[in-house]
Amino acid sequence: MSLLLRKKSEVSELTPRDALGKALVDLGEAYPDIIVVTADVGEATRARYFGDRFPDRYINVGIAEQDMIGVATGLALTGFRVYAVAFAMFLMRAWEQVRNSVVRMNVPVKIVGTHAGFSDAYDGASHQCLEDIALMRVLPNMTVIVPADAPEVYQAVIASAELKTPCYIRIGRDYVQNITHQLDYEFEIGKAVVIQDGSDVAIFTTGMTLPIAKEACDILRERGYYPALVHFHTVSPLDVHTIEKYARKTGAIVTVEEHLVRGGFGSAVAEVVVQTYSVPMIMIGAHSFGRSARSPRELYDYFGITPEDIAARAEELVRVRKRR
Amino acid sequence: MRNDLSGSFKFPLGLRTLILMNLIEHLQTIADKARKYLVLISAYNPGVHLGSALSVIEILTVLYGTGRVKFLNGGIDRNWLILSKGHAVHAIYAIAAAMGYLTWNDLRSSGMIGSPLQNHPEIGALGIDVATGSLAQGISIGVGIALGLRKRGLDRRVYVIVGDGELDEGQAWEAFATAAHYNLTNFIPIVDHNKIQLDGEISKVKSKGELRKRFEALGYSVVEVDGHDIASLLAVLEDVEHSGRMSVIIAHTVRGKGVPQLENTPRQRITREEALKLLEEWRVSEEVLA
Repeated sequence: MSLLLRKKSEVSELTPRDALGKALVDLGEAYPDIIVVTADVGEATRARYFGDRFPDRYINVGIAEQDMIGVATGLALTGFRVYAVAFAMFLMRAWEQVRNSVVRMNVPVKIVGTHAGFSDAYDGASHQCLEDIALMRVLPNMTVIVPADAPEVYQAVIASAELKTPCYIRIGRDYVQNITHQLDYEFEIGKAVVIQDGSDVAIFTTGMTLPIAKEACDILRERGYYPALVHFHTVSPLDVHTIEKYARKTGAIVTVEEHLVRGGFGSAVAEVVVQTYSVPMIMIGAHSFGRSARSPRELYDYFGITPEDIAARAEELVRVRKRR
Repeated sequence: MRNDLSGSFKFPLGLRTLILMNLIEHLQTIADKARKYLVLISAYNPGVHLGSALSVIEILTVLYGTGRVKFLNGGIDRNWLILSKGHAVHAIYAIAAAMGYLTWNDLRSSGMIGSPLQNHPEIGALGIDVATGSLAQGISIGVGIALGLRKRGLDRRVYVIVGDGELDEGQAWEAFATAAHYNLTNFIPIVDHNKIQLDGEISKVKSKGELRKRFEALGYSVVEVDGHDIASLLAVLEDVEHSGRMSVIIAHTVRGKGVPQLENTPRQRITREEALKLLEEWRVSEEVLA
């Protein structure tokens, strides 16, 4: 990363969206050519922090995500570094604009989707975006970053400023278990983070499910297994070498994501596995729309994205593999 | 504007009229030649939207032919043109050829895999600032460019050619509202109002309501013009460019203008035989155009 503006520990108490707001302001200070565009969600996404500090470089197009993507494209064509910030769910109505305006011309618009996954637990199925990884990762030249927590949101947003191609960053709202500031790694787009080496089974995770997967590993270790844990903060381009390495090393892969398993991170890993070193896999994630709930935790429970569930499924997979 | 005839230096009235008449004649020659090129391309390239392209020939000729926008583009500090109704792109290619920027060989290979002249605008083709083809997206991009130019302090304009059928897209009105909100007087939309869309006449497919009033309600000043009359187009453009107001030009046009089989019909294409027969009537051959 070319420009680390704050230490991870300085943002370790933040929520994901506050980390986004802070990162945008820091970028605004560092780069005079950053413009932030939003769609009437400046307050909710914390893009407003940037708007308050740099009113001349802040554009609000109202509730019009499709227009927002087009306006962002036009601004990028005139040489600005543009961040288009809105709720992940409603950015998806502009998928075709992302495809035909941003990606087809390969302009460096950075699209940030907040309130992704189950983070907006209260608002229910209409607001809980569980499809964005799938929709964004299929686009050529689109970098897709799914940070695990606030310190990683901060680093991802800062790192994306130097990208000369389109980028989608998927972040949550307030719910978070910040842990990446305690881990020793350099954030590098496209490079997976091996949190724990192992040989019985590899648990691959992306985004906010990292702490849950980490707990699952602890359970497995207590039960005498030796699981590997790898965090993929970048889903596209995917770190295929690390995937293949752990496919060979463990012979069994469990993927965990806060997203539909169909087309999501697990599917992306499977695409690599079947073309490199084929091993049995289990994909853990959502299987249908979310529901209104009192907290994201309830939704993780509802879809079986819990340390206990992950550990049980991983054990099952290891047993299947041994029977082969 | 570099080509503004009403600048600080005042020509004697007679001379000014003479220059203007020459300019009009010059532009008409380009438009006529481009129209023939279009029919000729359509005899070779099955992906030409001939009716739609013929509808915007004069509008684009006035923009390119007066140097408002240029075929050889570079950098940001310039006027921009976006053909939001990207399916009419062969009109740009034909005008480029009529003005000597493309050869007949370039045109004939348009729409082939290896050609930069794709059947919808792609970056990399001569004269193409913005890739379009998906309707209404060009309008939002135009708004973004106009905003960007203003933020950079550049006194430049963005011309966006919009189809009337395209106005069905919700994004069109999102974009027009954004431009109006930011009072982007350097954003100049020109509606090619030929009253026909893919499935037929606008009045039957989907009424556009009172277009003038829809734009006026957003705060635009609306100018209507005959989109095939070069003198009127020149006058209207100069007026709008110097009005200091948010404006939209509604150009009344005829789809398929100049090709009797297509004029005012939803028919988009003619057969190769029809094209060659027409060219023969016009006494046009590849050699003549080259």
